Amino acid sequence: MLTLIDGIEAFIGRLKAIHPLLPWLVALLLLLPVPHFTANNYQVYLINFICIMIILATGLNIVKGFAGQVTVGHVALYAIGAYTSAVLSTKFGMPFYVNLPVSILAAMIFGVLVGLPSFRLEGAYLALATLAFAQAVEVYIRVTNYLGAASGIGGIKPPEFFGFTLRNYDEYYYLVMPIMLLAVYASFAILRSATGRAFMAVREDPISAASMGVNVRRYKLIAFVMSAFYAGLAGSLYAHMLPGYVHPNNFTVIEMVTVLLMVVLGGIGNIWGGIIGAIIVTIVADITREYYFYQLLLFGAVIVGTVLFMPKGIGGIIDRYFVNRRFVAARELTAVAKRGVVGSASREE
Amino acid sequence: MGPMLEVKGLNKSFGGLRAIRDVDFAVREGEIRGLIGPNGSGKSTFFNLLSGVYAVDSGTVVFDGRDLTNSEPHEVAAAGIARTFQLLRMFTEMTVLENVMIGYHNHVKYGALAGVFGFGRVASEEKIIRDEMMEVLAFIGLEDFASIPASELSIGQRRLLALGRAMAMKPKLLLLDEPAAGLSPVNVDNIMLIILRMKEKFNLTVVIVEHILKVVMETCDRISVLDHGVKIAEGVPSEIRDDEAVVEAYLGREMDDEEVKRAISA
Repeated sequence: MLTLIDGIEAFIGRLKAIHPLLPWLVALLLLLPVPHFTANNYQVYLINFICIMIILATGLNIVKGFAGQVTVGHVALYAIGAYTSAVLSTKFGMPFYVNLPVSILAAMIFGVLVGLPSFRLEGAYLALATLAFAQAVEVYIRVTNYLGAASGIGGIKPPEFFGFTLRNYDEYYYLVMPIMLLAVYASFAILRSATGRAFMAVREDPISAASMGVNVRRYKLIAFVMSAFYAGLAGSLYAHMLPGYVHPNNFTVIEMVTVLLMVVLGGIGNIWGGIIGAIIVTIVADITREYYFYQLLLFGAVIVGTVLFMPKGIGGIIDRYFVNRRFVAARELTAVAKRGVVGSASREE
Repeated sequence: MGPMLEVKGLNKSFGGLRAIRDVDFAVREGEIRGLIGPNGSGKSTFFNLLSGVYAVDSGTVVFDGRDLTNSEPHEVAAAGIARTFQLLRMFTEMTVLENVMIGYHNHVKYGALAGVFGFGRVASEEKIIRDEMMEVLAFIGLEDFASIPASELSIGQRRLLALGRAMAMKPKLLLLDEPAAGLSPVNVDNIMLIILRMKEKFNLTVVIVEHILKVVMETCDRISVLDHGVKIAEGVPSEIRDDEAVVEAYLGREMDDEEVKRAISA
């Protein structure tokens, strides 16, 4: 298992050395034939849904995992993205390529709204404030006839480009998979830059971060709006996927718990972990769909168990392996150079 | 030339407690100033007021000709003031290198979302940042620990990293809140040596809060003394050593027999 991880790491490293985007291109090529290995249409649907969940979980990981802001409003932003697309498509007859950016924009505007309480609240208090927002959105949808109320909105048209319509799940996969890959790449790229470091500093110690020049409120807001971008994107993709139907049941607090589980199980603050979490949780949720009550029990238990026994999730375990290796290497280096005295003023310059 | 940092009539209360009372404080460019006082005398509060962590009740803080009174901490940092914390406040989950990179945050030229294009310009700037920050780590002797989480460091190494983070900010003024607290005597000497080298190399002005009086007496050009939020003395180390008010603040006042009797019966 460990040699496998080492091998993959070395391979990706070699690709990166040629061009930083090459590993992503290889991933795209590897993922292209996936629908042909499925047994039935339903499995392709599930894979498409997993792609959407990966986008949603990645967005939550940015704001919760990296910037450390405990938000429960993420699914509400996903709902806003989905319903914006649904309304634009069914009431105004707008095409997908208009609905997608407008839905993202709508989610981002509400993302600012969810983010504002984070200026004054943190931890459980912020969770409560954002929970209120999430509940308000869900209830508003349920009682508003224009939004289909409790029966949802159907008949959302599938995406159409230059007269070519994506009529089945196989075709939709070639839209949603590359977008997913692009979204994951973007999150990686941004989080590896100074912005990602600023997010983590805000999470670790806001006072220290501010004293070192990080505008804490600005970066909190950037994190919320970025995560809203992902939620809006996921929502719009979900609405336009067959059967083109959105229902308030898909955007409840229970859905929020499911997305949270993906991030927690995969590893908070670990994008790869979040992706693994999204895949596992979506598949398990699908298998246990008939036993809804027990599914919730299972998810709750897994969240508690993960937080107690592996707080950094699956991704954290893999990370730990790399950190340990580097730590051993550093110890070997310094063991020779010095003993007893911290640092070494003598070794500079 | 006027002072680099000039504080006038500073006041701060927490409820009924007047933590800082009418403090005037001026530091010349290139100076090493010691700030001492018994526990609870307001030294850390004073630093928190200077660096914008607390809002002042009244008074002004002028740095380099700019009014910084009640500025946000990140604005104070951008103006060229770096500070360290008594309780360190490391980013423990981040690597040692990432910790110093946060110090460089205000010098990063590319925008917040430019990272999407992580190749090209951003990548080349990141490489320059990385190299420069590795030099900072080499200066404090932690370069071998660059890719290890700060949580794995010893207290002595964390004290060094705190200096490295401040150094990465390229400040003009350095506020050090007990930089040697919790260290063994050997390490205290080592860290003071590094502070002096930093000052020389980057032409810094330094204010040090420290409890180890030997360190302050040996290192500082001038010393200010706080007691119960009031500045009770200021001068060169030899003056401070012999100052009656300072000795009284630290050791208590000598009382004659009459006073002792009264104090016991009261």
